[in-house]
Amino acid sequence: MTRATNAGIGVTRYLQVYTVLSQALAEGDIGAGEALPSEPSLVRQYGVSRTTVRRALARLAQERCIVRRRGSGTFARDRVVKTPNARQIAALFEDPRSIATNTTSRLIEFKHTPVPDFLHREWPEVGANVLTIRRVRYVDREPVVLVTAYIPEEIGRQLTARRLGNDTILWALDKLGIHATTTEQEASAVAADPFTARHLDLGVGAPTLNLRGLARDAHGRIICFANYLYRPDRYEIHTVVEREKSQRGRQALRL
Amino acid sequence: MASRTAHRTNKSKPARGNGFKAQRTGRGVARYYLLYEYLSGALNDGTIPAGGALPSEPELVTRYKLSRTTVRRALARLEEEGRIIRRRGSGTFARQNRKPVRLHLNLHDFFEDITTLAAQSTTSMLRFEMGAVPASVRELQPRLEAQALIIQRIHRAHGAPYALTTAYVPERIGRKIKKSSLNRTHLVTVIDQLGARSTKTEYTTSAVAADAIAAKRLDVSLGTPLLRTRAVLTDSHNQLHSVIESLCRPDRFSLRANYERNPNRNSSSRWRLKRS
Repeated sequence: MTRATNAGIGVTRYLQVYTVLSQALAEGDIGAGEALPSEPSLVRQYGVSRTTVRRALARLAQERCIVRRRGSGTFARDRVVKTPNARQIAALFEDPRSIATNTTSRLIEFKHTPVPDFLHREWPEVGANVLTIRRVRYVDREPVVLVTAYIPEEIGRQLTARRLGNDTILWALDKLGIHATTTEQEASAVAADPFTARHLDLGVGAPTLNLRGLARDAHGRIICFANYLYRPDRYEIHTVVEREKSQRGRQALRL
Repeated sequence: MASRTAHRTNKSKPARGNGFKAQRTGRGVARYYLLYEYLSGALNDGTIPAGGALPSEPELVTRYKLSRTTVRRALARLEEEGRIIRRRGSGTFARQNRKPVRLHLNLHDFFEDITTLAAQSTTSMLRFEMGAVPASVRELQPRLEAQALIIQRIHRAHGAPYALTTAYVPERIGRKIKKSSLNRTHLVTVIDQLGARSTKTEYTTSAVAADAIAAKRLDVSLGTPLLRTRAVLTDSHNQLHSVIESLCRPDRFSLRANYERNPNRNSSSRWRLKRS
């Protein structure tokens, strides 16, 4: 028997169906008031049992995303937009001063540790020890991003949790006279592990937007490596690329 | 989670001390996955170095109070991913990390890189027709009219699918595009050759769960995280040329961008793309 879903990613089938439907509702692929496909057609489309479909729909109904009318079907409810959307939050994140005033953060970890293996393999010049900073940033008390940053020891020693406060890490380093002049970034998508899911208030296995960034100073010295896991419903990356003569881009740096 | 413990083989049933019960995991997470995650992390950060031995199956069973089946499932997945090797009689060992082959699009060289990527890829056409633009796409890009040329394709590198793209081209340009011209040539290049040069792209990057269609076309499970990009291409008169949405497998494709400090201090932005 072939199945469109597969428990191989570690989340149950009902959660996969729930994730996909809840995304379709949130993004307006199924607009407010529109009907969802019938139970039998969801069963066919996703290759799952009727029980699985019902469980996913029950959770959406419980979360007031859909309404089920006996005899006529299942419908998307009006989206109650109470929090700013991904585009609006991305705009807040354009500038470190705006981040400091419009967002809050919670420090999970601020600790001097041995350099993680992956970092050492790729950039041995970071050294044997790093300052590890892990925190969650919120807009309107809703989590947006989980950041894990590693700062080489000699730079990290100058920073304290108090000095960091609510500033972005690069901004805090700027204030110490350590200026990032270039950054190299890579974007990907990863499933939320239990730790990430807990801090970002997501289901385990839900997609997150992952950004890894390496910041260097004018001498090419690495001053920070950071890994960001964003909630995709709360943040998106905007870049403008112009061709040739004036090819330049715009993007907030989220440290 | 309580119901999941019913099939445990361990009859002595010691209290779940510091096993995975301690983690608040939410609903719908398989227990084996927690062990997999844990071991995966230990392999990634070098707690278990390349060539080093993993704890034995009975040790994992006792330490985390899991069934042997659960432990085996977690190890089987790591083995499948080529991250551990199991040697009969001597144990389980961490393998040297092999770097996966991934394609990259460098945003700082966008217009050059898309040409190169197109030349390296083969595509299969799923749709090529004038059709109605979905409401959710028009909401994002109001300059798109109700009808557009819709081009949906699957892109492969070395035979493996890495992206599912859907492009919307305004009718006035779309009418001139020949289906055959898209073979190994990027849509932007094809539009260029029609004499309408795209000079700017506004690029939005996000992550989504694979729906039934994307899962099937990209050969992944339903709900697998995918990298989603939306490119809005315009010309020097700010006329819309195309909107291209791509869903990409993150294990086969990533986006890169290099930035430098903006020398213009009055600019609203502190960083700008750095050309290579």
